[in-house]
Amino acid sequence: MEIENNNATPSLSGESTPNLLQGIGVSPGIVIGRVVVIKRHTCRAGRYHLPPDHIQKEVARFHQAVTRAEDELVRLRENFADDLADALSIIDSHILMLKDRMIYDQTIRFIKSKNVNAEWALAQSLNHIKNRFDKIADPYIKERYADIKHVADRVFSILFGHKPYQLVQENEPVIVVANDFSPEDTMQLHTENILGFLSEKGGVTSHTAIVARSLNIPAVIGLTHITGSIATGDTIILDGGLGQVIIKPDSEQVQVYRRKALQSEVIADELAPYVHLSSETFDGYSVRLSANIEMIEELQTVHRYGCKGIGLFRSEFDFFHQQPQPDENALLATYRQLLDSMSPHPVTVRTLDVGGDKFLDHLPDHSSQLDPERNPALGLRSIRFSLHEIKLFTMQLRALLKASAYGRLRILFPLVSSLPELHQAKAILRKVSSDLDKEGVVYGSDIELGVMVEVPSAVILADVFSKEVDFLAIGTNDLIQYSLAIDRSNQHVAHMYDPFHPAVLRMIKQTIDAGHAQGISVSVCGEMAGDVICAVVLLGLGIDELSMRPAVIPHIKRLLRHFHYEQLQQLGEDVLRCVDGQQTKNFIKAYLAQHYPYQCNNY
Amino acid sequence: MSQVIASYNIGNSNGVHGRVATKLAEIALEFDVEVLIEHNGSQVSCDSILDVLSMALVHGSEVQVILSGEKARSALVEIGAVLTAENDP
Repeated sequence: MEIENNNATPSLSGESTPNLLQGIGVSPGIVIGRVVVIKRHTCRAGRYHLPPDHIQKEVARFHQAVTRAEDELVRLRENFADDLADALSIIDSHILMLKDRMIYDQTIRFIKSKNVNAEWALAQSLNHIKNRFDKIADPYIKERYADIKHVADRVFSILFGHKPYQLVQENEPVIVVANDFSPEDTMQLHTENILGFLSEKGGVTSHTAIVARSLNIPAVIGLTHITGSIATGDTIILDGGLGQVIIKPDSEQVQVYRRKALQSEVIADELAPYVHLSSETFDGYSVRLSANIEMIEELQTVHRYGCKGIGLFRSEFDFFHQQPQPDENALLATYRQLLDSMSPHPVTVRTLDVGGDKFLDHLPDHSSQLDPERNPALGLRSIRFSLHEIKLFTMQLRALLKASAYGRLRILFPLVSSLPELHQAKAILRKVSSDLDKEGVVYGSDIELGVMVEVPSAVILADVFSKEVDFLAIGTNDLIQYSLAIDRSNQHVAHMYDPFHPAVLRMIKQTIDAGHAQGISVSVCGEMAGDVICAVVLLGLGIDELSMRPAVIPHIKRLLRHFHYEQLQQLGEDVLRCVDGQQTKNFIKAYLAQHYPYQCNNY
Repeated sequence: MSQVIASYNIGNSNGVHGRVATKLAEIALEFDVEVLIEHNGSQVSCDSILDVLSMALVHGSEVQVILSGEKARSALVEIGAVLTAENDP
């Protein structure tokens, strides 16, 4: 349910913002400004047959074009200080690619042997390289073909006689929007007046992200079709931390975000010292603060904010962004990098959590198409879908188990609502382990298994589930929707979505107690975990781990370190006595106003 | 002219990607040696980073390197360090 992009996103309080689009934030910071939409013309190389006496000239023309492209790159490189090592080394490798024999020698060979023009010959060389890279399974290395393409495009553009492209000629600083940026675009743009980047594409390991971060320019990627929905001159708000874009904001929104931008700068300075401190109360009671992420690209952010583990890795990204569908090796590559990078801290990977009809729509040639569901929230989704598509589920579990040799893996089954369902999933996991044993594949011996508590039946059976698993993770977003029967995207009832509803808080308490009675840990990984006012309550109810957006972790750590554990416990008890949501909220706000000197909800 | 041969396992968690391949080419140039990498029966020279990339050497792959040139031995130390390093050069 969470992979849907481009949707109006409701906020925690339930108000929805229709002009807000959700992308992937890859470089934090809030900027407001006019946009320039870049549409690059694509060049089509025709094939021309050349008379023999023209061949030498054509080779010379190609050589000149390559030399000029190299000059352009070298000049670009000189504009940058050495401290941008990440960005500079990308240019270095592009310069090498330009002169690589698979591009340079091969193109000249084609010109000579086939008597053709340089453009056509270069296109052929590129095709050969593409064929070789298409066969590569490893997604990270495979994606490097994009670099080769950028390098070749530069030469094409010179051969076609285009002027070296000046992307933006504006005098005032702007936010640039494009289908995709090459790393050089990103760097070239830096020398001009750039507030932020916004792109439709951008792979998991895209250079746009790396360069934007090293230049400290806010960036959002992965907003499909955005170049169609905004035009040069429109004003937008771009929040690179949350990955959100607001198109044509009203004056009130502009004001709110100006304030936010200013505050986030101040707060970032205040919070910096907390990144390296341990997450414990004033008197040393420690609570694990971990991160919710959905792509490998976010790992850098995770480390930057001092997260001690991944509390929720949403595994849907690979399934939706690899065509036609990832295989075991592709998944393994992702999971291995994830576990390896976080080791020795635990990584909780939630198995595929989507609605079945939507997922199979995405696989056009899949045999068992499902009819659109009348009520997808109550339909074949999450663990139910995995148990329906056992082959797919087995593939994901195999990749996970294989990756477990590289770190501390925790597997999380979403939307479990009954014991037989859990038994069935566990049986498949056992089968996968024994298969791997037979194949002689080594995997971790310390893998932990958990269920997501996000439907009321799971809360009531939490004591039963606790005997079967190693941990419980409460998914508050869905738990609130299912137990209060509220669809947050329905504007008529959205205001009734209430994390402070006494029923919600009591269910959380019941789950925590049930887990603790069996000696297992209980975490929360919904939006509540990252909201100061909610988090203080969750801590009071005895939660062992809070998992949230990485950038929020220092906030929650500061909160945690401010209180004694006994104070929090007392607060938890008091809150459980409240009988309506508004009363609860007022009570906590008053308490924090008295005991906590920092602002609570302005990030 | 001397020749040295050694085997390594790739240490970088992303495998031999652009920066690693670039560094290998730079070392070959700096020491003026020819560096051949062998993996799964195929062999490429490090002076083409595209050749090296297209071998798709992922984390843990075993490779054999063959260096020839006056300073082959000194170059091997650096090549070995780059191939086995966990972090990007």
